[in-house]
Amino acid sequence: MSYQEKRTLFSILTGILILVAYGIYAYGKYQSGAMIAEDLTFWAKTILIFIGIGIAVNIVGQIVFHILIAIQIAIKEKLHDVNTDDKAIEKSIQNEMVTDEMDKMIELKSMQTGFFVSGMGFITGLIVLVLNYSPVVMLHIVFVSFSVGSLLEGFLQLYYYRKGV
Amino acid sequence: MAKKLNITNNIRTLRFFANEMTQQGLAEKVGASRQTIVAVEAGKYTPSLELAFRIAIAFDVEIQEVFNCEIEGEG
Repeated sequence: MSYQEKRTLFSILTGILILVAYGIYAYGKYQSGAMIAEDLTFWAKTILIFIGIGIAVNIVGQIVFHILIAIQIAIKEKLHDVNTDDKAIEKSIQNEMVTDEMDKMIELKSMQTGFFVSGMGFITGLIVLVLNYSPVVMLHIVFVSFSVGSLLEGFLQLYYYRKGV
Repeated sequence: MAKKLNITNNIRTLRFFANEMTQQGLAEKVGASRQTIVAVEAGKYTPSLELAFRIAIAFDVEIQEVFNCEIEGEG
């Protein structure tokens, strides 16, 4: 599995983690009482907090991930040749982590689908409002569709890396 | 409607005749990732004109010697 695939897989896993955490939290709150369920400000705050947590987890996770990948490459190089110097290891790390036109093309194609799903979620949210459902439902639909769009983007990236673009 | 083009390449052969150049070696020469070279070689990704020329330059051959093109249905 290449560096790009591992990175994408890692993003998917953190995305799933955040979505599941939000799902459990939201479900728990809904169960706890109807008053909270209709409080738009509360849910807006909650979603903002979860977006913040998602960004923080992603940044910290990516840093840890890159450190681990660098260590893995360094160990592999050392096992391959004990006399390998730091410069050679550094070069191997750079070669492994290079991003080129195919990565950009894959990102572009998968992002297109991700945005489509997010957009459809927003439209669904608007339809829900028109049908006189609570704005909280719309808020949840928008949040979930953005998360699902992002996850789909990741899965599509993995697909394109495997099957070609 | 324009007919579909079937683009093939001779990268594997060219690598063989370039002292069995590795995919990583070629990737470094052209400034791409090894995965991209693997995908191009397997016909899973059609490179940009720039990368195609870079690959040809890396082997010191004309671009037609690296990539071939057939119009589908015109055998």
